[in-house]
Amino acid sequence: MIGLNHYLFFGAALFAIGLYGALTAKSALRVVVCVELILNAVNVNLAAFSAYVAPKQAVGMNFVVFLMVVAAAEVGLALAIVISLNRTDDVGAIDGIRRLRG
Amino acid sequence: MSATVLFYLYAAVALAGAIALVRARNLIHGIIGLFATLVAIGGLYLLLGSEFLAAMQLFVYGGAVTVLVLFALMLAGPKVATEAAPSRGVAWIAGVVSAAFFVAVGAVLWRTGWQLAPPHIHDTASIATILFSRYVLPFEIAGLSLTIALIGAVVISREDDISSATAVVISRDDDIASATAVVISRDDDLPTPAHAPAEQPASDSAPVATAADLAGDEGGAV
Repeated sequence: MIGLNHYLFFGAALFAIGLYGALTAKSALRVVVCVELILNAVNVNLAAFSAYVAPKQAVGMNFVVFLMVVAAAEVGLALAIVISLNRTDDVGAIDGIRRLRG
Repeated sequence: MSATVLFYLYAAVALAGAIALVRARNLIHGIIGLFATLVAIGGLYLLLGSEFLAAMQLFVYGGAVTVLVLFALMLAGPKVATEAAPSRGVAWIAGVVSAAFFVAVGAVLWRTGWQLAPPHIHDTASIATILFSRYVLPFEIAGLSLTIALIGAVVISREDDISSATAVVISRDDDIASATAVVISRDDDLPTPAHAPAEQPASDSAPVATAADLAGDEGGAV
């Protein structure tokens, strides 16, 4: 029987993998994609809590919907920043980014 | 298949896809792993009894976000897609940090006794009832933030802005008046410089005409 802890451990493992990817990434695009993994792990946790702890009110499911909206906005903005960085410096490496404006 | 088998199948596919994404040196190959992860998480939402979240996961993540990342990759060029493996020290530190995170969170999860409630199947209507009654203000703010993010993405990723165009034109041309005339002619909504000399005599003649009118009025009064 699958319980709440199964989903929570899955979410923790996915979060840890995304964290490893974001820490080792050199290009900004890869960091964005790994942050998406982390956000998905959080979403799974919220949905599991909603289904197992408070199933009558679908509050956790609504949190997942809002997180999806915020993640979509975040990935759109982040990819725009990556593209404009790429145009000025012609590298996507985050080590080379030292200016906020220019 | 029972729910247990399906859970382990989806979880294994999702974790394998995530590892493939992190390990892939070519990001386009890694995005295939990301896609597998996102679709498998949609399956987990189905197992949790929320078909609405599963559909949203497929639409937003499996469809839109994956295609958006691929488009950004194509626009950014081939140099961004491939990167060398991280150095041994960085990989070691990152591995220790993420493993420590997993162990810490897992220890807390293992000890916590959750007060579980009897399962209850959500339908889409129950999510919508709360979304449009109790959370209607966050819903509107979420829509507003999406609009702002869209406009911001367009502004950030635009090719060039007006100020840099002005700087380039002025540095190339010594006469500032003609330089601004060139800049104005780049804009569509402003009048072209050809109209400017034509307006000059008209504005000069206007005071003359009023002076003549004044003289005429005075003459009439006298």
